[in-house]
Amino acid sequence: MAILPLQLARVSNQLRTSIAQSQLAKTQQQLIEVQNQLATGNRINTPSDDPGNAAIVQQLQKTLEKAEAYSANIAQAKSSLGNMDATLADVSDLLLQAQTLASANVGSDVTPEARINAASIVDSLYSQALSLANKQFNGVYVFGGDKSTKAPYTGQAGGVQFVGSTQVLSNAYDDNTQMPFMVNGGQVFGAMSARAAGAKNLNPDVSATARLIDLNGALGNGIQPGAIQVSNGAITRTVDLSNAASIGDVINTINSANVGGITAGINAAGNGLTLTAGAGDNILVTDPGGGSTAADLGILHKTASGNGISVVGADVTAKVTPLTKLVDLRGGAGIDPAGFKITNGTVSATIDLSTITTVEGLLNAVNGANLGVRAQINADGSGIDILNTTQGTEMSISEVGGTTASQLGVRTFSPSDALTDLNNGKGLTLGSGADLTITRTDGSSFQVDLNGAQTAQDAIDAINAADAGGGITASFATNGNGLILTDATSGAGALSVANANGSNVVKELGLDSAPISGQIVGKDVNPVVVGGVFANLAKLAQSLRSSDTAGITSAAQALKSDYDQTVLVRGQTGARVQELESRANRLDDQNLATQALLSSLKEVDFTTAITQFQGLQNALQAGLQTTASILNLSLLDYLK
Amino acid sequence: MSLIGSLNIGKTALAVNQAALQVTGNNIANASNPNYTRQVAQVSTNTDYRAQGNLFIGTGINLDSVQRQIDDALQGRIRGSLSDSSSADVTQQWMGRVEAAFNELGSDDLSTKMSHFFNACSNLANKPQDVGLRQVVIQNGSSLAGWMNNLSGQLGNLQADVDLRLKATVKDADALATRVAQLNQQIIVAEGAGAGQANGLRDQRDDIINQLASMIDIKSVPQANGAINLYVGSEPLVADTQSSGVATHQKVIDGVVQTEVVFKQNNGTMKIASGSLGALVNVRTGIGETLKQLDTVATNFIYEVNKLHSSGQGLTGLTNITSTNAVDDPTAALNDTKATGLKFTPANGSFVVHVREKATGLETSTLVQVKLDGSGADTSVTSLAGDLDAIDGISASVNGGKLVVKSENSAVDFSFSQDTSGALATLGLNSLFNGQTAKDIKIDASVTADPTLLAASKNGQPADNQTALAIAQLESKALTGLSGQNLKDSYQSIVNTIAVASADAKTHAEASSAVKETLATQREALSGVSMDEEAINLMRQQRAFQAASRLISVIDQMMQTVLGLVG
Repeated sequence: MAILPLQLARVSNQLRTSIAQSQLAKTQQQLIEVQNQLATGNRINTPSDDPGNAAIVQQLQKTLEKAEAYSANIAQAKSSLGNMDATLADVSDLLLQAQTLASANVGSDVTPEARINAASIVDSLYSQALSLANKQFNGVYVFGGDKSTKAPYTGQAGGVQFVGSTQVLSNAYDDNTQMPFMVNGGQVFGAMSARAAGAKNLNPDVSATARLIDLNGALGNGIQPGAIQVSNGAITRTVDLSNAASIGDVINTINSANVGGITAGINAAGNGLTLTAGAGDNILVTDPGGGSTAADLGILHKTASGNGISVVGADVTAKVTPLTKLVDLRGGAGIDPAGFKITNGTVSATIDLSTITTVEGLLNAVNGANLGVRAQINADGSGIDILNTTQGTEMSISEVGGTTASQLGVRTFSPSDALTDLNNGKGLTLGSGADLTITRTDGSSFQVDLNGAQTAQDAIDAINAADAGGGITASFATNGNGLILTDATSGAGALSVANANGSNVVKELGLDSAPISGQIVGKDVNPVVVGGVFANLAKLAQSLRSSDTAGITSAAQALKSDYDQTVLVRGQTGARVQELESRANRLDDQNLATQALLSSLKEVDFTTAITQFQGLQNALQAGLQTTASILNLSLLDYLK
Repeated sequence: MSLIGSLNIGKTALAVNQAALQVTGNNIANASNPNYTRQVAQVSTNTDYRAQGNLFIGTGINLDSVQRQIDDALQGRIRGSLSDSSSADVTQQWMGRVEAAFNELGSDDLSTKMSHFFNACSNLANKPQDVGLRQVVIQNGSSLAGWMNNLSGQLGNLQADVDLRLKATVKDADALATRVAQLNQQIIVAEGAGAGQANGLRDQRDDIINQLASMIDIKSVPQANGAINLYVGSEPLVADTQSSGVATHQKVIDGVVQTEVVFKQNNGTMKIASGSLGALVNVRTGIGETLKQLDTVATNFIYEVNKLHSSGQGLTGLTNITSTNAVDDPTAALNDTKATGLKFTPANGSFVVHVREKATGLETSTLVQVKLDGSGADTSVTSLAGDLDAIDGISASVNGGKLVVKSENSAVDFSFSQDTSGALATLGLNSLFNGQTAKDIKIDASVTADPTLLAASKNGQPADNQTALAIAQLESKALTGLSGQNLKDSYQSIVNTIAVASADAKTHAEASSAVKETLATQREALSGVSMDEEAINLMRQQRAFQAASRLISVIDQMMQTVLGLVG
């Protein structure tokens, strides 16, 4: 309300009316404001009513709106993980049942017929497990990972193939927490072979088009593009590489900086950069201001190189990506285009690399051959894995005359393999003394002691040494996987191999095949298998049918560990549900507190407002009354 | 010492009191005229004459002048306060309308729409293969876009309204300035450089100047000849009998035609700081700023969402797409925004094109370089089309400045990923939002027609949710385009700026109206008519008139007596 000067010399009629008018207008305006507050229940109706608090109100509303999404996400995750818990309970029950069956049928008093009956129960458990693994909830295959649009486990000839993904989805449950709301099917049912065929660092060369994001960097921390300082002793220039996206960009930018005669290029090894000095250039490369670009690029050179001496950069360790060219692999040596052969159970295919140029092409060729295997780039981007995804089949990858499989590191059985790793890690069963008796075609024979042999090559050497020029040559297959015994002698007999002194090495070395024209071609005894519920149930059923008590016991043990794993995953799921539960509660509490704060800021205090309203009403009434009586007073009334 | 002399005294008394009565009458008549200045009859004693020796005898009364009771300095301050207060009033009024357009603090406002869109994306991440959840994202997205269009439209309409209002006010101000010049002329003629004042004309002129002061912050300088010169800043608006006039002039500022207030005479810009015209000019600039800020938020929103979306994959692959943002010069480097006419600036980088064989699902990927490092041939739309066209399975061409990418046969479709350059979002390929500002933002028509094209995935798997998740997280991501603020904070700061300006105008309006009223009160105290005062004056003047009449009648009797002596 305006404060009027009260030291007035005189009061005119106009003054009296205008003061009365403005006071009444102001009181009425305030009344309207309070009335509006009372009608809407809000103290702040538009942000300008109280800009400071309005900003906080908007912030709080934003928090509440965001909380809606979080609470929806929590509810969704709780329901899918809750459903997962029930599914996992079913799986663990099923596994327990299988174990009970196994222990009930392992005793010597159980008849083979009873075991065959038990096997058919295991068969039904197997199909139940398959339907649990392909369980759908809310239209999503719960064990499918980020491929949950399709059933993740499909029955394949001889087993069950995992076609889902082990990559599970996650979502945000508050501003800083992202948590998976799915369970990796592989952890429960088994997905891919633990033994990745292929553990070789393929060390690709870099090319000008190589993206900086695809490089691990000389320090192994990736490349942080920033400014570097290049000097030739006389001129020092800051070269800004923050806009560089590829190795080519780096080279162009350094070259266009024109530091003396210094030119950048790819080094002779093809794995990094080189700075070639012109005559008289004394190269110095530093990272200004705490950056690490030069170091990441492997060209950090804090001490002057010397006049005319070039700086050869370190290996920037390019990652293998789908775009990597096969010729750039193995430090630029490339991959033998001969190809390799994959055999998985009953299916097999030869992957011919003669028309394939990129890693993606190689992966497509393998993945597109429908072999129940999966080819992918390994997690750290250093090589290619070919994994068996089918439970119940054995995957063998062999050469087809070339060295492709060995170069990629995917050959399942090679001369350098340790004998103890063979036969699924069981190794060899050696006899006391000599382990092998080899009979030549001419009827003569000799014994081989494998004691002390470490690798398959050692075994080959031992055979050749024991033969001592008697006509037998042991070698490793160049086409296929396995040992080969070639007999040069002739006679009426036949080449044969036999166990000696209680050993079991003939089968375990894969030499248990019939000789064909003086040659025994061995088998791959180091194939890749994938463990898991289906493989173990199938093994149990098979062992029950064949009354193989050792097999039943080992299957039971494997199922026990499957059961333990399932219980573990279920525990983790339960813990996550619990965490979500507490998060939901916390979110509710937070919302309540935010609402309270919001209403205290935004909403009107009715007591105050009503009191104010009453006061203003009185003021208006008083104003009207005094105005009426004052304006009525006039000297003219008293003039006669 | 003559009777005739006494009779003359009576005559002066009669005349002066009669005139004073007229002044009183005029005051009473104008008692309710707020622009009226109280007049007072200034009287003085007539020069007395020496009757004899040291004896001086008075000769009656004389009416010197009829004076307006006015304080010129106060009048000047009142004009200043009128400018201020009407400026604050107009600002408050228009800022209120701007604020109403935003309608913040409720449940139906842009910030809520934004939350709904991001929340829908977050929910899509819960089940990325779902088409229904995609519909929700599209619904919320188009509702957000619609709200932005609407808000931009409303602000544009407000701006147009302000312009109309500005033109009307300028017309009024021009008429008033002309009127002041005319009155100056009349006053100069009427007063004729004499001592007297043409009170009525001066009251009229004061009123007109006050009206003008409420529109433009003028300075008034009284002249010796009775004229008042008016200045805006340091330039004269009215000089004696000449008005320079007020007019509007269309001027192109930032590519937008804007109305400017100028002197009619020479088209020189009028530097108006206050008054309703000053407020209208400021409000229009303010709305322009707000629109620009809103566009910045919209532009960044579109670009950032599209950057993520264009590198993502939907449930179905792409078979035939056309970029939504046409370039002016297809051969210009993509980051040359002047030549391309694009709103966004892509960076040096690359993206990957995946051509997928539908039957097997196997993809062939090709890296496409977007070379924008300024060294040699930089990537343009034409060269990009060439690079894309060279990829097996897809064909690309430029049509009317737009890039068209198609599958070469029905057995394959394609997708993009890992765009580090932002080129796809810049051109509007595989984008979720079309348009470049708040005015033209809308959900891409092909996504609306086929929601399965909405990209939730980043690795090509239909059930992957990484793109949806990344878009949801955009809500609270600091963006360099918004100087490190996130989208919502940036939008909120617009609302806060308006709120503060509006609240400021409210406070200013109250304060300046208080000043105005105080000054008006002071003026009233001096210049206002008091009926009681006038009634007393009336009585006094009546009595004086009666007494003077009596004097004359007494002298008349005395004359009779004297004449009787003769007769």
